[in-house]
Amino acid sequence: MLLRVENIHKSYGAVEILKGVSFEMAPGQSKVIMGPSGTGKSTLLRCVNHLSPPDQGRIFVEGEELTAKNLNTMRQKVAFVFQDFNLFTHLRTVENVAIGPRKLRGFSKSAALDLAYKELDRVGLSDRADAYPAELSGGQQQRASIARALAMEPKLILFDEPTSALDPELTGEVVSVMNKLASEGMTMLVVSHEIGFARKAADEVIFMEGGKIIEQGPPSQLFEAPQQDRTRAFLNVIEHGGDA
Amino acid sequence: MSAWLDFAMEHLPYVLEGLPTTLGLWISAMAIGAVLGLALAWARIYGNRPIYAIATVYVEIFRGTPMLVQMLFIYLGLPEIGITFDPLTAAIIAIGLNTAAYQAEYLRGAVRSVPAGQMTAARALGMGKFQAFTTIILPQALRRVIPQWSNEAILELKYTSIAYAIGVTEITARAEKIGYETFQFFEVFLLIAAIYVVMTSVVAQLLQLLEKKVAVPGL
Ligand SMILES: Nc1ncnc2c1ncn2[C@@H]1O[C@H](COP(=O)(O)OP(=O)(O)O)[C@@H](O)[C@H]1O
Ligand SMILES: [Mg+2]
Repeated sequence: MLLRVENIHKSYGAVEILKGVSFEMAPGQSKVIMGPSGTGKSTLLRCVNHLSPPDQGRIFVEGEELTAKNLNTMRQKVAFVFQDFNLFTHLRTVENVAIGPRKLRGFSKSAALDLAYKELDRVGLSDRADAYPAELSGGQQQRASIARALAMEPKLILFDEPTSALDPELTGEVVSVMNKLASEGMTMLVVSHEIGFARKAADEVIFMEGGKIIEQGPPSQLFEAPQQDRTRAFLNVIEHGGDA
Repeated sequence: MSAWLDFAMEHLPYVLEGLPTTLGLWISAMAIGAVLGLALAWARIYGNRPIYAIATVYVEIFRGTPMLVQMLFIYLGLPEIGITFDPLTAAIIAIGLNTAAYQAEYLRGAVRSVPAGQMTAARALGMGKFQAFTTIILPQALRRVIPQWSNEAILELKYTSIAYAIGVTEITARAEKIGYETFQFFEVFLLIAAIYVVMTSVVAQLLQLLEKKVAVPGL
């Protein structure tokens, strides 16, 4: 297994947010996590790369356990794409993508830039390489941040609601980049309510509520024949344009 | 006016002989302040409790006492416990330690103003905390701090004049000497004021150019 998430518990203060979450991902798989707001989806993703270390439970990447000691090297295998992009404000788009290989992977400056241009091309942003993040639209910023993740040549990319900070007309360009990555065999763990993406690209959909996995299965099964009432109620809300 | 110009032209060379001392004192002190200020800012933001406490006490002491008192303490007080400096060194240390406290606070404010997501994104790439600070946070914070840092630099340029109190013959001390020799205090202090105005204007302009040169959209 590429990723093994084993019985993760996480509390903030006295409130237990994650109440024992486990799942696995094989190389090349894509999984979409859905569930109501405040349910702990972001917390779970942040536990997976120890941005918030779990209180209990273990994370394995390619069989190696993530610990406080190997964190910085393990994070190079597990990239993270944020809801609000978090591109480095002071760097041009191409430098945002090049900085990981340059500073963390031992690339020379020119090799890092070559790779950065290649990854920008992959997300369709070659023409904006010299722009600063503030000069990009939201959709372009998110694609640039996906390129930044790709330049680490990670084993797995975590996406935390990559389209929910975008105006509706801009989500399409990001979703199509994600579709393309999935079809190229990238392993992706995606928190998202984009049903279109889940149907097309996901091998499995995980429905979470109250810090637990309520139901999981292939998108066809989960969307057409959900077993749990809560899954059904939730899908009803998002399919009818509500904000779950 | 023309009498003053004649007076100024006559004594300007002697006063300006002190300029290297004034500028050397200022630049050395600002450099000490920048390095120490950066360390103090780091300690106040990321330090564990004891390190935070030490840095905080330092900042409070140096901001809470007059710089003249600090300078007299270093020049006249420390020799009693066997630590002796020549006047210029004592002045550099005093102004350097003092401006460090202020520079630390300005820098700390600037670092705080960088959105938390920048550090998170750097850490998520696999950078350590220190590497993330130096490659991502600091370049942004430094750009944001330039206006305040410029004010501080100009303030300290003027403050170099108090080094005259411990016998450093920078430009103010030289002006005073001319005053006592000629009894034209009005003229000579007008001259020295003009010199400070020219210096501070030039510095302000240069730093504004720097600010423009490193400006980035969105910062
Ligand atoms: N750093 C934090 N400190 C305290 N509480 C937090 C923190 N991060 C998240 N929470 C709380 O944890 C709960 C789950 O949050 P989150 O994982 O962001 O949910 P989701 O992504 O599913 O909307 C929320 O109630 C949120 O307020
Ligand atoms: Mg969330």
